[in-house]
Amino acid sequence: MSDETFMGVPREKIPWFPTIDYSRCDFCMECDKFCPHRVYERREGDPKLVVANPTNCVVFCRACAKTCGPDALSFPNKPEIIELIKRLREEDSNG
Amino acid sequence: MAERHAVLPCNGLDKPVGPLAREIALALVEACQGELICPVLYNNLPARYAKALELPLIVIDGCGTRCASKLATEHDLKARRKIQVTDALKEIGESAGEALTPDPERLALCRQLAERLLAAPAEESAVDAEAAFAEPVEYATATHDKFIFRIPTQGYLFNENHCWAHIAGSRARVGISDYMQQELGDLTFCELPQVGTEVEQFGEIGSVESVKAVSDIISPVSGRVVAVNTAVVEAPELINEDPYVKGWVAEVELRDLESDRALLLDGEAYLALVRQKAAEYRP
Repeated sequence: MSDETFMGVPREKIPWFPTIDYSRCDFCMECDKFCPHRVYERREGDPKLVVANPTNCVVFCRACAKTCGPDALSFPNKPEIIELIKRLREEDSNG
Repeated sequence: MAERHAVLPCNGLDKPVGPLAREIALALVEACQGELICPVLYNNLPARYAKALELPLIVIDGCGTRCASKLATEHDLKARRKIQVTDALKEIGESAGEALTPDPERLALCRQLAERLLAAPAEESAVDAEAAFAEPVEYATATHDKFIFRIPTQGYLFNENHCWAHIAGSRARVGISDYMQQELGDLTFCELPQVGTEVEQFGEIGSVESVKAVSDIISPVSGRVVAVNTAVVEAPELINEDPYVKGWVAEVELRDLESDRALLLDGEAYLALVRQKAAEYRP
C-alpha cells in the first residue's frame, strides 16, 4: 500500500528491509516460512528466493535474520535509519 | 530553608562549563546547608562520604558526557534532583562561553539555576517508581468486530512497533501492547534482556514467541536495564492476560527521555494508530 506511513514518514522512504547475500544463502526458506508479512517470495527461476515486498518489512524488526543458519540476511544500520526518520520528520514539519 | 541535600557535581575543570557546575554546587550547598561531594575523592574513597550520602542527593553534570550521573549510577546512588548545565543554559538562551573562569553574569546565572533546582519538584526515587508502576491504569479502547484493544490513557508512551514504556521518575518499564499480544495470540515463550545491558531507543529488549510467530520487543526508550520480570518467563500468558502491568518485560534506568519522547506516541496518538490498524485487522 502506497499510503502506509511509519512514524509519520511514508514507508517507501525508509530503506529498512533485509538484503539476501546469495553467496551464503542455501535457499532453506526458513526466513520466508517465518515472516508473516510476505516480505520474501519464492521463485521458480534463479534466485529461488527474493525480497519481493521490501516495504512490507516491519521497520526495526530483524527477527527473520535469527532464523537464518548461513547468516545470509543483513539489515541497515539502525541508528542511521533513526537519523533518517528524524530528518524526514523535520523536513515534513518545516514545509 | 530548603531541605538539606548532598551535592555531587562533575569535575569538569578543563571545560568552561565545569567551573559553572562547581559554582552551582557551591550555591546549592550554601542555600541548603548541604554536603559537597568531590567526585574525584568519592571515586577513590566512597566511604569518606557515607554519612553525607544519607541525605537526598543532587547530581550536577556539566556536559553531555554526564560523568557525575555515571559515577552516581556506578555506586548505585539515586538522585533526587538533577541538572545538566549545558542543556539548562541552552534552555534559557545562554551558554558556558569560552573562558575557564566564570564572569560575574555567569556566576549570577549559576545562583539562579541553583535556586530553581532546589525549588523544582523532586524526581521520584526507585521506591516511588515501584509504587507508581503498581497504580491502577485507566484504559481507552479501540474495537473492531469482536476484538477490543485496550490502551492506557496516562503515563505510557508507545512506538509504532506496538511496544510501550511506562514512565515513573527516572525509570520506565517496557512491554508489548494489547494489540500486539492479540495479534500474536497465546504466547509460549518470552526472552528477557540481561540486567545491566545498555539498550538504545528502538533497540531489541527481548522477544516474545507465540504459536503463530516470534516478535522482537523494540524498546521505546534508551537506557540501562535494571530489572527484568522473571514471572513472564515462567508464565508468558501473563502478557496475554495483563500486557500493561503484570506483563511488563524489563525496567530501564532512562538515559535521555526527552530526546526519546520526540519519536514516541502518547496514549491518545497510539489509540488513533490502533483504531486504524484494527480496521484492517485479520487475526
